[in-house]
Amino acid sequence: MPVFEVFQQAREGKAFEHGGNVVAPDAEMAILYAREFYGRRQEAHRIWVVPRECIVEINDPDLLHPPAVDRSYRTVGGYSVRDTLRATRGAVAGSAQPD
Amino acid sequence: MSDTTITKTDTKALHTLLTALADDEFILGYRNSEWTGIAPMLEEDVAFSSMSQDEIGHARLLYQMLSELTGVPADRIAYARQPEEYLNCLLVEHRKLDWAHAIARYFLYDTADHVRVEALTRSRYTPLANAMQKIVREEKYHLMHGDMWMKRLANLSSDSRERLVVALDSLWPDALGIFEPLPSEEELVASGVLESSMSQLQAEWLEQVAPYFESLDLPFPATKDESTGRYVPTVEPVYGGRQGKHSPELAELWDEMTSVYRLDPEAVW
Repeated sequence: MPVFEVFQQAREGKAFEHGGNVVAPDAEMAILYAREFYGRRQEAHRIWVVPRECIVEINDPDLLHPPAVDRSYRTVGGYSVRDTLRATRGAVAGSAQPD
Repeated sequence: MSDTTITKTDTKALHTLLTALADDEFILGYRNSEWTGIAPMLEEDVAFSSMSQDEIGHARLLYQMLSELTGVPADRIAYARQPEEYLNCLLVEHRKLDWAHAIARYFLYDTADHVRVEALTRSRYTPLANAMQKIVREEKYHLMHGDMWMKRLANLSSDSRERLVVALDSLWPDALGIFEPLPSEEELVASGVLESSMSQLQAEWLEQVAPYFESLDLPFPATKDESTGRYVPTVEPVYGGRQGKHSPELAELWDEMTSVYRLDPEAVW
């Protein structure tokens, strides 16, 4: 019997989270059981039920965790502005000092 | 409408109505709970058990209402009466048979109960109307569940269809007993506690479900009376439940259902 993965949205606007799964003969029955397992205690605002075989997965580490070459220049964190910032602040503070 | 609502009333007729409503839910909840652990699949096991709890929860709500009127604790109303004091219809007390029988019984009961509950949301007796408004929302899931299973059993295989037809044929006369007139029904209708008579509710129910049974080509023992436009049964209803006249199957169930309570009725849980 097919497995359906169940996703719950706790409140309007929130992201859906994977809750678990149900086994059911078809999508209609899967909704029936998903409500019972993942929505009967008011924990869900909305529920999605997706046949497991419809989910396409990537879990290749070469794709998701690329090798350790320095790619820091691609991210904001790769640029340290601390020293420049400190020098500029010092200069501004110095000029503002009354005699 | 406030001048036409009743917030306080305490008549024998009202007690009878509340007892009949509560006992139907209680006994069916108990019978359906007998599927816990052995339903066709795990998901269904959980769903069916949970719905049984819903029914027992509805019974509890009504027993508590009765308890406030009579001063008798709800547990005692539920467990300390003799079998002949229960006013449930005979449909709900029958022994568990096969899954098609369980689904057919629950579907017949739920669709009929829905008509009754709907009408009672407009009862002039406010506490009852309020309780029914809660119950009617919970029943939505039960109706959806019943519809899905009925369609599947009717169409899945010749075996499932045959079992469903056999179950329906045997259950219809008992199902018509849901609307057995209550002993002092006129009084309830006159005061507006009950919007319409049980026979009117039965006609409404039959009209509502007629297209459904026709679409699935399943047994439907009623025809439309052309002169009145009302559906009338073509089989003899099984009455007795509302007068406390039951099948031996209730005594059997009662014996088990009350066995823990009877060990020590004064125990505090």
